[in-house]
Amino acid sequence: MKLTTEQFDALALELDTLKLQVKQQIGETDARYIRRVLLCQRLAAISGRILMVLGFITPWLWLAGVLLLALAKILDNMEIGHNVLHGQYDWMNDPVLHSKRFEWDIACDAGSWQRTHNFEHHTYTNIIGKDRDFGYGLLRLSNDFRWRLRNLWQSGTYLLLSMLFQWGVSYHELAAQRVFFGKKKADRHSQVTDSELKKAFFGKGARQLMKDYLFFPLLAGPMWLWVLAGNALANLIRNLWTSTVIFCGHFTRDIYTFSAEACENESRGQWYYRQMLGSSNFTGPTWLHILTGHLSCQIEHHLFPDIPARHYPTMATHVQAIAARFNIPYNTGSFLRQYGTVFWRILRYSLPGGKASTRPAYL
Amino acid sequence: MKALLARSWRAFCLMLGNQPSLTRYLLPLVQWLKPGFLPGQYRAQLVATAWQTADMIELTLQLSKRWPGFVPGQYINVTLKHNGRYLTRPFSICSSFSLWQSQGQISLCCKLNREGEFTPLLPRLTKGQWLSISAAQGDFVWQQPALSTVFIAAGSGITPVAAMLLSQRHWLSEVTLHYRVRGNENAALLAPLQQLAQRNPLFNLQLSDSRVETATEFSVRLMQQPLQREFYLCGPARFMQQVTTNLTAHSVSRAQIHCEQFAPLLQNTAHSSTDDEINSTFIIAGLPKQITLPVARSLLQSAEQQGLAPAFGCRMGVCFQCVCEKVSGQVRDMRSGQLSGHGREQIQLCISQPVTELVIKL
Repeated sequence: MKLTTEQFDALALELDTLKLQVKQQIGETDARYIRRVLLCQRLAAISGRILMVLGFITPWLWLAGVLLLALAKILDNMEIGHNVLHGQYDWMNDPVLHSKRFEWDIACDAGSWQRTHNFEHHTYTNIIGKDRDFGYGLLRLSNDFRWRLRNLWQSGTYLLLSMLFQWGVSYHELAAQRVFFGKKKADRHSQVTDSELKKAFFGKGARQLMKDYLFFPLLAGPMWLWVLAGNALANLIRNLWTSTVIFCGHFTRDIYTFSAEACENESRGQWYYRQMLGSSNFTGPTWLHILTGHLSCQIEHHLFPDIPARHYPTMATHVQAIAARFNIPYNTGSFLRQYGTVFWRILRYSLPGGKASTRPAYL
Repeated sequence: MKALLARSWRAFCLMLGNQPSLTRYLLPLVQWLKPGFLPGQYRAQLVATAWQTADMIELTLQLSKRWPGFVPGQYINVTLKHNGRYLTRPFSICSSFSLWQSQGQISLCCKLNREGEFTPLLPRLTKGQWLSISAAQGDFVWQQPALSTVFIAAGSGITPVAAMLLSQRHWLSEVTLHYRVRGNENAALLAPLQQLAQRNPLFNLQLSDSRVETATEFSVRLMQQPLQREFYLCGPARFMQQVTTNLTAHSVSRAQIHCEQFAPLLQNTAHSSTDDEINSTFIIAGLPKQITLPVARSLLQSAEQQGLAPAFGCRMGVCFQCVCEKVSGQVRDMRSGQLSGHGREQIQLCISQPVTELVIKL
């Protein structure tokens, strides 16, 4: 599957053309869609919090409340937050749904997310040493990394990370900048100072904790323990879901990794190529796509991060056809199959050795 | 104390809904119930549209009771939604104060720019449609009606001037309006002004047809009248610049001249040609993007040209919606020509031109 320079250019042209075609369709329908999702999110959040208190009538109401709040948090983080913070809806010039103004219901500060995710992860996708999302500095997910003793119990680490995923995400940038521990890395540059990072981390974190574990329980009066537990459960559900979806995007079996030297001066076509090889999709019904914020189409998201995500499933058929024409592997499968391979990867690389990771031919 | 309360409330709202106010958190619900609602704005319903001239449309709006009122001569920012996108433009109020007082209505006279994005939508608005408007803004108001005054308006510049004249109840001194326009058929708001001139001996209406009278002739005629007057100018930037230069040359002091400018005047520097480009970096949602900025364009225009979508509003430096953080580099204010510093500061994209290499967080 070695591609020539001309083929890379042709690939870039085809994908650019597809992007342009979709871009021209963007308008009223997209605006109405995302505003409706936002409306659903607000209604779910408000009704969820009310139903939890009504749990004194029957615990089933409490359970419904927990699920609704979890749904609200998932919609807020995935279909709304993640996509709005990518600037997918900036063209609407909306007072709320703009990448510069949006803040989401998660411990991670939106600005920090934009730097680590939008910039670092999306630019250096799966480049070992540059994309810290590959293993989050905690997990050994390929034999590009030296085996350490702590990798032996990394499936436990993974489980813990999934349960506390929002805190992992929010601490991500501070860990990279060695704000609290470790020696600063000479090759890392930051747009913000350590004190700004700390302020955003503690400020946003404290607000989230106060809301879910102080304000609403207090407001619930005698039902405080139910509300507290319900909020914790809703956060847990959201954490597990987001973590699972995100792990399926880059750590499935047939994923490729890259070395920093090989990616220097890469052309636009090569960049597209790397995004396609470094990401994986999973299939499912429309509601599943919405709950994942359309990250079920991770490949399309990585190719076109600023196109409103609801277009990804239709774009996917075109991208898959293009991939087939250029003989580029297109990594997709059912949700369960893909997740199974992720879990296997975590288990396999907790032991030393492992298959040498696949490196694409041009590198 | 009030500031502290406001800060605490903001912090509370941020905790509760990650939005600086409860209204913003509840915005989707409020908009569902009240179309046209926007935080910090007022709702207005379109009650009538009428063509003033072939390319000027008059919109009459019924305003929300919360709208705080205006001083004739001021403008408002009008926001409407088109193809899912909020667009905002400023328009001077052209109706009298008494119309608002008695019926809660105002009129706007909008010149259609066929190539524009906003004004071509106005004729398509239907009666009963909801719009959002800002509070009245601007300091182009008739400050001392007791002094003899000369108004000079060109084209659509008549709108704020008409509001001032039509709102005046007690006439204390002589007032002349020089209204320069391409023939009577292109003179918006001519009928009410003519009626005013007939009713009121202190008001003198002078029309200047720009197809008949050249700019120089007009200027000469202006200078022939007594110049110990207050001057109020409104029209195209170049026109006002000419008149101002002439007036000051005839030793009219700057303090006597009051101006309202509708579009920023592009300042070209002596040492850089208009085709020059500067390499710069825009950071969009955390992602740095290298782009080349033509020095003759506003940063907003250049950004949009490159397919970026920064927040924007009036596009002429009045609404501050496009304010962004400049990390480094120098920009020029296109209205005043003033240069910025080189460090971190907030700038308005729509009226800033690049001077040096820039890093800007969109």
